[in-house]
Amino acid sequence: MKISLNWLNDYLTEEINYKNLVEKFNLMSQEVEGLYPLVDASKLIIGYVEKCENHENADKLKVCQVNVGDKTLQIICGAPNVDKGQKVIVALPGAVLPGNFKIKKAKIRDVISNGMICSLAELGVADFEKKETGIYVLDDNAEVGKDPLKYMGLDDQVLELDLTANRPDLLSMRGIAYDVKAMLDVEIKFNKPQVKRVKPEHEINIFTQTKDASVYYGQLIKDIKIKPSPYWLRSRLLASGIRPVNNVVDITNYVMLEYSQPLHAFDFKKLNSKKIIVRKANKNETIITLDEVKRKLLETDIVITDGEKPIAIAGVMGGFETEVDENTDSILLESAIFDPISVRKTSKRLALKSESSSRFEKGINHELTKEALDRACELLVEFADAKNCGGPSFFNNARKTNQQFELSFSKLKEVTGYDFEKNVVKEILDRLDFEYKLKDDIFVVNVPARRLGFESYQDIVEEIVRINGYDKIDLTLPITPTQGKLTKKQQFKRYLRTFFTGLGFYETNTYSLTDKTNATKYDLEKLSLVKIMNPITTDREYLRHSLIPALTDVLVYNKSRKINDILLFEIGRRYTFEEEVELISGLLHGRYNYSLWQKEYNNVDFYLAKGVIESLLRDLKLLDYDFRAPKQKLPNMHPGIVSEIFIGEEKIGWLGKIHPEVEKQLEVKDTYVFELELDKIFTPYQKINVNYQDIVKYPSVNRDIALVVDKDILAQDLIKTVKEISNNSLKTVDIFDVYQGDKLEENKKSIALSLIFENKEKTLETEEIDTMVNRIVNALTEKHKAKLRR
Amino acid sequence: MEKKINKLVEEALQELGKASKLNDLMVLKAKYLGKKSQFNDFMRELKDLPNNEKPKVGKLVNIGKNKINHKIEEMKEKIEADKINQKLKEETIDVTLPGKKIAQGKKHIFTQTIEEIEDIFVGLGYEIKEGPEIEEDKYNFEMLNLPKDHPARDMQDSLYISEEILLRTHTSPVQVRSLLENADKKPVKIISPGRVYRKDDDDQTHSHQFGQVEALVVDKKTSLSDLKGTLLLAAQKLFGEERQIRLRPSYFPFTEPSVEVDVSCYKCNGTGCSMCKNTGWIEILGAGMVNNNVLKACGYDPNEFQGFAIGFGVERIAMLRHGIDDIRLLYTNDLRFNSQF
Ligand SMILES: [Zn+2]
Repeated sequence: MKISLNWLNDYLTEEINYKNLVEKFNLMSQEVEGLYPLVDASKLIIGYVEKCENHENADKLKVCQVNVGDKTLQIICGAPNVDKGQKVIVALPGAVLPGNFKIKKAKIRDVISNGMICSLAELGVADFEKKETGIYVLDDNAEVGKDPLKYMGLDDQVLELDLTANRPDLLSMRGIAYDVKAMLDVEIKFNKPQVKRVKPEHEINIFTQTKDASVYYGQLIKDIKIKPSPYWLRSRLLASGIRPVNNVVDITNYVMLEYSQPLHAFDFKKLNSKKIIVRKANKNETIITLDEVKRKLLETDIVITDGEKPIAIAGVMGGFETEVDENTDSILLESAIFDPISVRKTSKRLALKSESSSRFEKGINHELTKEALDRACELLVEFADAKNCGGPSFFNNARKTNQQFELSFSKLKEVTGYDFEKNVVKEILDRLDFEYKLKDDIFVVNVPARRLGFESYQDIVEEIVRINGYDKIDLTLPITPTQGKLTKKQQFKRYLRTFFTGLGFYETNTYSLTDKTNATKYDLEKLSLVKIMNPITTDREYLRHSLIPALTDVLVYNKSRKINDILLFEIGRRYTFEEEVELISGLLHGRYNYSLWQKEYNNVDFYLAKGVIESLLRDLKLLDYDFRAPKQKLPNMHPGIVSEIFIGEEKIGWLGKIHPEVEKQLEVKDTYVFELELDKIFTPYQKINVNYQDIVKYPSVNRDIALVVDKDILAQDLIKTVKEISNNSLKTVDIFDVYQGDKLEENKKSIALSLIFENKEKTLETEEIDTMVNRIVNALTEKHKAKLRR
Repeated sequence: MEKKINKLVEEALQELGKASKLNDLMVLKAKYLGKKSQFNDFMRELKDLPNNEKPKVGKLVNIGKNKINHKIEEMKEKIEADKINQKLKEETIDVTLPGKKIAQGKKHIFTQTIEEIEDIFVGLGYEIKEGPEIEEDKYNFEMLNLPKDHPARDMQDSLYISEEILLRTHTSPVQVRSLLENADKKPVKIISPGRVYRKDDDDQTHSHQFGQVEALVVDKKTSLSDLKGTLLLAAQKLFGEERQIRLRPSYFPFTEPSVEVDVSCYKCNGTGCSMCKNTGWIEILGAGMVNNNVLKACGYDPNEFQGFAIGFGVERIAMLRHGIDDIRLLYTNDLRFNSQF
């Protein structure tokens, strides 16, 4: 909301300090977006062009002698419309125009120019006049030597407020004045509009067929003359951010700004009846609106009709057929109230949001609907030569607003934590012009109709607190004793982040919404996709099933910026209709812990990714994990370098290399990814109880065996066999060498196992170990056709 | 005899002093103290001396032997030390060559900011609650005093999945759920961090996805002054102990009264600068006393219960604290950005 401070001053009985006003608005009411002059210009003066001759050295320039009161200045002017006998706006040498445009004494083609004759555009107010052809020519009443901005009413300051949705009262100048009164504790005054109703007549019949129109006043005004509005009116509209059009349109806008009551003028001659019926639109009904667009109406839209067809969409836009134009000489002026929700829906659907529609949406004070019409009549008589203002026809079904709330004094203190005094509260309510009675401890407050939307005593509390000042409220802390804590799961997530960052992974933060392809790219289970009904773009239309596409996007982004070694992880959600599952996903690419000059390159590979996950699971004491070749193909993964991860028999996730075809599309190579379900790790982790195990005192013994097996035998199966056959003296079994090549038959490979034995009770004897090793070798031979390699 | 012994000792010590290898020492030891050495000869000659001279010369011989032995030990240590020093010298490396490139990770600044806010409130006795991002209109709007046709719904244009299901536009539905769950109406003191979504085009200051941390206290006593004290404490923890706060009226449908909270500018200390647009204050968050309609919807009698709510924008806090001027940087994951925090 832009506020003309000249206008506001009309309502005030004393001068106010604008800086203080800004501060009070900020701290007690609404955020101030700015305070600035309507025209940011200095050293302007009204001049009279006494002589205007052609410039000797330039075709298009004129040399003017301009009387500015105490002297006559020679000024060169290039405007086509400059002429002798005009009263014009002169910028004197030293003047600064909007845009920091400095005026200096200058020589133009050998002729001295002492300033500039200004156009409206140069003053930043081109809209002041409908069409501008050059310099602005003032009317005859302008006084030479005086300030032109003052004369035109452009010497105004604009206070811009960022209004919150709960203060529709501040959409009117009168509402602003009430708030200023409460904040600054000053007096305000309003004049009641004086309308001379020359010959009361009720020529028009007005009624409604819908409850969505509660009040409708229609006033026939004859013998008007369309012309530009007076300077002051145009300036005030400009200050308020509304472009002046002509006197009738300007007056309806002016009154709307004054009362927050939108008005609409129909050209009475174009109206083919003396009947106004407000109703809901019929099926398939259409109307051509003021902007000359044919609009299709719905049965939920409210329309104003002439008894037959719509002539306006109520509260949203007038009809083209009954538009006021230069030839209009009588109008039907409408001041009405329509249902906020209905207007909101219609204006939203038709994308016709206007100053009027937004006021209807927020609610109109029915107590002023008639007065606003009277005010318009008053102005039309004065500025549109209107002679005949008959009494208005109307219906008025508005219910009296009853906003009575009880606020106990003790509740006020309890809610605010501030030790109010009764007198202070009384004074604040007086300043707000809220009627109240004090019954014992209880304030019974009647909130006036101009302050719509109060719901409970809480709104009264807010009014009292803001006018009293938030700065007065004490600083305390809630005394309720509670125990603060992270849940186990939140602690677990913090652990995971620490774990992965500790290993060198960067955490990413990516979008949950993506396109259809990426949403399901790594989704084996073909889960249900969640689609946004009204997406921002098709790129953000679906909720993802995997974080991997986002991670590969991050990889590609950074690769193209010459960052080559990339480890990423993110904790995020997979979304289906049924559930949101938390995932921990990662990506590995490039080198890991390397040293170029030492020729240690350490490119990441499947086994690094696997090692990371093993290390995590071991750290969590989830030792019964298992990596299995997937039974089904994982989409977009390398079919031979991929594994599913299990804890016990529960699949917790997968890891592998991205399919070479996908890598080709992304223009990256050798990228390994994993995705685990957080809960499937967290749940078994929750059950782990750590009991201390005595550290074995007796030495452990190491035995290595090398085996030749068929190429397709899995290392894991060998280890499983070793573990199954051994007693608890086998501490660990590990693989320390894998060989395939010339020294072996085709389709064979050699695997070397390192076995470590130890016993809690004694030192193991060589014979015992030999027996165990033999048993292991026999089992491996039997089960996997392994041969001991010598 | 005396002279001979002294001369020999002198000679031996000198020769030993020149030895540079352990082997040399062994040869010299044999030469001077071995079976065929002069000292052995002295010992033999000792027998022929008159009895009164025997002890004196004997003593002299022993002292001489000890001196030589001592010298041998001394030289042995020296030679060994030299050997070690030599070896160490040979092993010396260029310590200025680069170290191995150890992978280095970072938590995202988004997470770091959330965790910091969480820790502040956990310290104040708050529990942390989380909830679904796909939410019912009922929890996201209706029970928060935002009925279907409320004009304030325009303030947060939402991404809908169906008429009744949407991506939550704030984490407030977690608060509603927490209040509803709390059947025995114990005091509620929670914060709810999480991701939220709005129908906004992504630009420098807008993001269709962003993070929120909301705090909620509902009990029988918690007042506006408790809110103010909590806000000051949080602002000081996040922006520095010298910070002040100020409250300005605002509007959120779920709180009444509602306030915007400014923190005194940490760049200019309130004197005015470009950061604070010369006001001395920077807007950091919104807050307010819980609206009675919300309490009622969640089964709390407003005559008995009251409380406050605070809403932090995670990105806003992070951006203000670190001077980040584009919200999209928090979602691009340029590692040159992620690695800075
Ligand atoms: Zn500052």
